[in-house]
Amino acid sequence: MSEQTRETAAPTADDVTAQIGRAFPGGRFTVERWLAWLLADAALEQPDASAPDGAGDELAHPLLAWTAATQAMGVTWDELFAWFGASADDGPMFGEHETVWHAPMRVGRTYLVSGEITSADRKAGRSGVFDVIGYAFRLHDAGSGAHVADCWNSLILPRRSS
Amino acid sequence: MSERPEHGVAAFPGAVARRGEPVTPGMRLPEWEVAEVGAEKMKTTAALLRDPTPIHWDTAALRELGMGDRAINQGPLNMAYVMNMLAGFAGGHDRVRRLRVRFRGTVRAGDRLRAGGVVTGVRTRKDEPGGETLCDCDIELSVVDGDTVLTGTATVALPEEGSDDE
Repeated sequence: MSEQTRETAAPTADDVTAQIGRAFPGGRFTVERWLAWLLADAALEQPDASAPDGAGDELAHPLLAWTAATQAMGVTWDELFAWFGASADDGPMFGEHETVWHAPMRVGRTYLVSGEITSADRKAGRSGVFDVIGYAFRLHDAGSGAHVADCWNSLILPRRSS
Repeated sequence: MSERPEHGVAAFPGAVARRGEPVTPGMRLPEWEVAEVGAEKMKTTAALLRDPTPIHWDTAALRELGMGDRAINQGPLNMAYVMNMLAGFAGGHDRVRRLRVRFRGTVRAGDRLRAGGVVTGVRTRKDEPGGETLCDCDIELSVVDGDTVLTGTATVALPEEGSDDE
């Protein structure tokens, strides 16, 4: 991967800012039991801790909100990085994250995901030049239409060649 | 797969928030520890999330980048540990209403972690009749004997008086 060469010029600050407002294609995500189990296990939570609570399908780990959002945003991570002229090899990092849950995530439910780029700022620090990209998602229950969660994130893209 | 390190809460037998002292600002949240961050969980997570970033699973790529030889944990997993801590405090994952975090450092395979926090406020939700009681907190995740890697704020719904969670 380090031998890859880039023919394209590094994006300017204006190129990055031009992405603000760009909508994700979006999509739908069904919380399948096997995935909910494996994700809870990876998160070091007892998968069977999500016992039925009498209010419908059994609870899933709340991390499923972010998972559903990013899995159904309609582009791959590499494609998202490419919107900003970056790639996974540049070492993209999480900056900040916020999820607001209006209802618990549940196994078996299908969620509709929509979202957009909310901010893009070029900054310089001790580690060099980097872009901070803000993006937000909304999750709605595909069955009831209920607004289930909002996720906001910021992504840091190092600009090693800037 | 059946082996599980000693950590975390079991199946939320009851909310810590209602077992003893009243919940008031300044109260410390019960800590939640990860005995040892495992590289295998990162590989599972990378597959589940379709995360192409090699620093989570390819130690050769890490070395090539000059980033050592211990895989770097996914940020969402670090957030999940804090969610687990909040769920143990409030009595279930469905009681976690909001979490905002800033990623301040990296967690690597083999690290021992501790999630904790402090209550900053208790209020009644006013946008619905008989609104639930919400607890605002400052939260953090730290490497034991190391750096704080995640800080932020959170809101959980406290169990009602007389509920099964007491």
